[in-house]
Amino acid sequence: MAEKTQKKFEEIVKRFVDLKDTSELMIDLAYSSLLLNSRELAEEVQKLEEYMDKLHTEFELLVLSSKFKKEEAKGFLGLIRLGVVTEKIADAAAQIAEVVLRGLEPHPVLKLAIEEAEETITYVQVAENSVLTNKTLKDARIPEETGMWILAIKRGDKCIRPKPDSKIQAGDILIASGYAEGEDDLKKLAAP
Amino acid sequence: MNSFEKIEYKPIPVRELLREMKNLSELMIDLAYSAALFNDKELAEEVLELEKRIDTLAYHLEMTTMVAARDAKDAEALVGVSKVASATDKISDAAADIAAIVTQNIGVHPIVSEIFERVEERLAKAKVHENSILVGKELGELELAPRMGVDIIAIFRGNNWIINPKETETIKAGDVLIARGTFEGLKELKALCEGKMDKLED
Repeated sequence: MAEKTQKKFEEIVKRFVDLKDTSELMIDLAYSSLLLNSRELAEEVQKLEEYMDKLHTEFELLVLSSKFKKEEAKGFLGLIRLGVVTEKIADAAAQIAEVVLRGLEPHPVLKLAIEEAEETITYVQVAENSVLTNKTLKDARIPEETGMWILAIKRGDKCIRPKPDSKIQAGDILIASGYAEGEDDLKKLAAP
Repeated sequence: MNSFEKIEYKPIPVRELLREMKNLSELMIDLAYSAALFNDKELAEEVLELEKRIDTLAYHLEMTTMVAARDAKDAEALVGVSKVASATDKISDAAADIAAIVTQNIGVHPIVSEIFERVEERLAKAKVHENSILVGKELGELELAPRMGVDIIAIFRGNNWIINPKETETIKAGDVLIARGTFEGLKELKALCEGKMDKLED
């Protein structure tokens, strides 16, 4: 295949994976907002929904302007439909976050169901003497050490989206998702 | 015509219903993307089956919350539960939409699959080689989740899919595993399956 075509495909699929990842992050953050009854996290979900809309439009325009041959078109119809699905997932996440934004105190069973799920969500405050303090996320290697993903960092009233060069500070609340088994490992790292 | 399971009220705790709906909806999304990614119709069919299960659970949850609300205060406390449950139902519908792309023969272009598999970092498929140290081990004893943050969500064996396999499931040579987890963990799992790594790290 011509190199140019391959490049075009790469770009489309990358945009799709971005949509997919964002929609899944929204779900995790939405559950986190319930778990912590946190307006900031719920607002972050709503902000991400706007970002999804923009991303989705760009993705569709890119597919439409890619001039596929007839025999290729079907394979990309599947991709267009997958894009629509990510929007649906994002909507569901926004619906969960809306409960918090409406000022409804999350029912205790919601908290229990989230904590007991196979893929759990947890939060931990970083202590002064933690090995994580003043490390960047990249250097902290939390997924490798604990199997937990950092979804967001709460610093005071602010909610920070994690980037590899984000620096962890003492007092930060790390919100993470992963299998229940990693929870203890994360707690040991953050609050020894 | 679809066949629908008959619904009768059962006193199932809301907490259990919610937990199962949350677990299933997330499992379905991962299985559905895997079905699309690996263009696997049987796996897509399994997703559609799970969707029926969630629909039934949603009915039960709705009835339970109705029974539980005695006054306006209860209703305010419970409306959030019902909204969250309906969101998990929506997520499972989305997963079913993905599965339908596969069962209706639309599929995704092989080039898309190839790139997707490379770019996507949270799902992987690996065939268990006969030399792999995983052969003959139970999933539970491998402790993949605590060791490397990886969970086996489905196994393809002898033309059948085993969905969300139990801890007691023994891995056999020739099994195809679908796993979700961290990028590093999945890389390790692939090496273990291929027999390129002969030790589990702690």
